[in-house]
Amino acid sequence: MRALGLRSILAATGVSAVVLAAMPWLLPDFWLSLALTCLMYAALAVSWAMFCGATNYLSLATSAFFGIGAYVTAWGLATLSYPVAVILGGLAAAAFATLVGAAVLHLRGAYFAVLTFGLGELVRHAITYFEKSYFKTVGRVIQEAPSSTTVYLTVLLIAAAAVCVCAMVRASRLGLALAGIGADEERTQTLGVNARRAKILGFALSAFFAGAIGAAIAVRWTYIDPTAVFNPFIGFQTVLIAMVGGAHTLIGPLVSSVVFSLLTEFLRLQFPYAFLILLGTLLILLVLYLPGGLASLMQRRWVRG
Amino acid sequence: MADVLLAAKGVTVRFGGLTAVDNVELEVRAGEFIGVIGPNGAGKTTLFHTLSGVLVPSAGRLVVAGDDLTGRPAHAFATHGVARTFQTPRVFRDMTAEQNVRFGLEFAGRTRMHAHDAFDDARTILGFLGLADAADIPAGGLTPARQRLLEIGMALGARPRVLLLDEAAAGLTHTELEAAAQLIRRVRDELGLAVIWIEHAVRVLMNYVERVAVLHQGRKIADGDPRAVSKDPAVIEAYLGEEGEPEKKAA
Repeated sequence: MRALGLRSILAATGVSAVVLAAMPWLLPDFWLSLALTCLMYAALAVSWAMFCGATNYLSLATSAFFGIGAYVTAWGLATLSYPVAVILGGLAAAAFATLVGAAVLHLRGAYFAVLTFGLGELVRHAITYFEKSYFKTVGRVIQEAPSSTTVYLTVLLIAAAAVCVCAMVRASRLGLALAGIGADEERTQTLGVNARRAKILGFALSAFFAGAIGAAIAVRWTYIDPTAVFNPFIGFQTVLIAMVGGAHTLIGPLVSSVVFSLLTEFLRLQFPYAFLILLGTLLILLVLYLPGGLASLMQRRWVRG
Repeated sequence: MADVLLAAKGVTVRFGGLTAVDNVELEVRAGEFIGVIGPNGAGKTTLFHTLSGVLVPSAGRLVVAGDDLTGRPAHAFATHGVARTFQTPRVFRDMTAEQNVRFGLEFAGRTRMHAHDAFDDARTILGFLGLADAADIPAGGLTPARQRLLEIGMALGARPRVLLLDEAAAGLTHTELEAAAQLIRRVRDELGLAVIWIEHAVRVLMNYVERVAVLHQGRKIADGDPRAVSKDPAVIEAYLGEEGEPEKKAA
């Protein structure tokens, strides 16, 4: 994939987006909702890998960003139009990531992972407390939700934007700086990289997409409460998808989000009681025998060919 | 006399109870070729860490090209024209040699031009170092000796005014060492850089540098013409007298 130029990637993304935009008129509801899940995880995993794959940070903050975006919609949809709420959701998550990033991005490894996991919990409890104290409520009912076609097209647009932006970042100086930081942060600094700024920028950019997805997807639930939107499972799932796909690549998380979502759905329907056991076993096997992710499989084939 | 490019003023580094660098004064001017010697544990590398901003000194000031950079992060030193190599090569192993050199050009190097146009191109820098054939090879696949040369190339990519070399020639054979020393002198001559070079092979170093500073137990005990310094009784006592078995010298 590295051989593909930025232009080809952008063109391919554009063509795919146009084709996928026809799906609401072609697919039955069940498949459309499955496609929506694929797109949601594609955006989450690709933007996660843009920062974490390059820098070797393990962030579990995706559910925090996602939840913040969802709450922007929950609070704002009554007064704001849907597209504005989605953009604001992304911006709110990016602003939060900037603040948090400035404070904790000097941490590494398990400390950073645990801390970002705690963030999701922190925001969840803060919002629960806020809602209870000021609005005497726990959850909110979303009224006047946009049609499922609008939601699908919005999520498709965010996913396509995420792929394009991540491809551009990878080809840019920011991407080079992030890759250098992943390899040897101190060395990049001695070569003139403002590592702190690069990391905050990358972290915030990846949070923007998670927040926008959260804001866009939130309207699928008619009732929103903190437990539902700050679901740690979303954060874990994103990390797993990106790692199974190959977090250091662009195509890996993309392919993996489709494979993973379809597989989860298929196993759930075929083996409703054993699907998590099967999924878990499959994951263990993948991590053991394919540490470079699905992308390494494809690269191997290309090298041979 | 040329302007002072890099000045360490009373630089002190303490690690807990240990004073690794003790009140060191050092002034470096454009075009100077300076050697820094001293027994193991004398504080040479720690001094380099402070000169390149990797380590903030416990006391003292660092002035680069007229700006006080004390306490600033390493990238500020790099953009002010201080580039360095590390004792153990720290190349980006997954990137090609060319990408490694280009890294400096993309960041610190963007802010300045080289004195010599030819050095604005990663391939030319690699050619100058004798690494032209390695341009497309991932840096992790190079021999340790060639990784050391590549480290110099990465530093040159940052378009430095002051080049800090931390044992750039360690582990080389005598012939390779002479070649490396000549190369470093050529870098200095062609680019007009100031070069500060730490090396354990004291005799070769003394033949090439024009000024040598001696560190002992964190303090600078001599600084001047290599011939004069090598006759200094304090230096002989601290270091040169035991050169035959420097590893026995307690740090």
